[in-house]
Amino acid sequence: MTRAAQDRFRRSDLLKRSLVVGGAALGGAVLSGAPRATDAAQNPDADIRALNLLLKVEYAEAALYAEAIKSGALDGELLEFARQVAEQEQAHLDFLRQQLGSRADRRPEYDFKDATEDSDSFVKAATELEDLAVAAYNGQATNVSRAALEAAATIVSVEARHAAWIRSIVGRLPASSATDSPKSADQVLESLSRLEG
Amino acid sequence: MTRVDHLSFERLDVDGALAESAERAWGMSRGTFLAAAAGGSAAVIGLTARDAAAQGGKLGARDVAILNYALVLEYLQSSFYTEAERLKALRGDAAEAARVVGSVERAHVKAFRDVLGSKATKRPSFDFQGTTEGQEPFLKTAVAFEDLAVAAYKGQATRLKAQSALTAAVSIHSVEARHAAWMRYLVGANPARTAFDQPKSKSEINRIVRSTNFITSRASTQRKKAPRFTG
Repeated sequence: MTRAAQDRFRRSDLLKRSLVVGGAALGGAVLSGAPRATDAAQNPDADIRALNLLLKVEYAEAALYAEAIKSGALDGELLEFARQVAEQEQAHLDFLRQQLGSRADRRPEYDFKDATEDSDSFVKAATELEDLAVAAYNGQATNVSRAALEAAATIVSVEARHAAWIRSIVGRLPASSATDSPKSADQVLESLSRLEG
Repeated sequence: MTRVDHLSFERLDVDGALAESAERAWGMSRGTFLAAAAGGSAAVIGLTARDAAAQGGKLGARDVAILNYALVLEYLQSSFYTEAERLKALRGDAAEAARVVGSVERAHVKAFRDVLGSKATKRPSFDFQGTTEGQEPFLKTAVAFEDLAVAAYKGQATRLKAQSALTAAVSIHSVEARHAAWMRYLVGANPARTAFDQPKSKSEINRIVRSTNFITSRASTQRKKAPRFTG
């Protein structure tokens, strides 16, 4: 590292320490495991809209994995993947619902019948849904408060890990491009309605 | 203040070397890859162009510092993978991963350098302490680097002011997470250990990077120490 770069890093560390609000949010996140995103004071409605969109994606993911595990179509690595990821999506879902409180949208009814009947269809649906989750979170990054952004950032990378993991299991390229492009709320809703079948 | 060259991000996905690597490694046709990549970059560029225009195309000092910090991490990663590929000590899936991920990290370096222009930090010299010379040390180091990159982007990207920079940074952050899961899978570690990935502060990241002694362009008295493998 160059001396100039080191100096820049030091200056920024000072800056970071002065950001009390951000620091407190991160401190809480480390302690509880789950992030806290309670500071939506600047534009709470925008945060509520964004978090409810992401909640919809998490509902769909949780439903897909639950249905796939129940169907008995999975075994080996795929079953192991589905079980672990199901738990993590549930944790995301619980977190978002807790943040939204009474303003959380209800869980929609899902039926992934075809997608959970055999392992190939499951892989296709799960890959698509995990990629959609990454695009949905990335797409809301510029729409939310800093606190909500910091919380969402702890989730989106886990969705990206899931997307790469399932590709690895079936021998597909786990990461094919240099950037993950965002999707708008409308694009996310459209993709979701197509997936729900 | 530095001009935002939003067009530079357009080249991320359509980098020729990257397409060639994907083709070699995975048998994807060049056309298929470029079509997928171009589709991806269009949305990013749509946002960056609009936002850069809205902000008068300027990056503040803090954003420049954050992007330079990301650039140093990308230098570290791209040099590591490039060296591993050149030494030809890797086999099978690890060799393919080094080739594909190396191309992506080089594309990230180029994008940040283009955006930062004359404000871009220079590439330091590296000594990877033998970790590019064997399958196992390579994979463990790759896991450590990728998990570190995810935590670093998460810690800093959320502090960016310019929307164009934030959009680009989050779109790279999740790609680093894909790489982390990929490398973890290859080494036999759990690709997604926890439901929530925690950020790391700059000082934590700097301490970890320093402890590896991988960066040699400054005086150093400490000796070899491998990065912590967190699998």
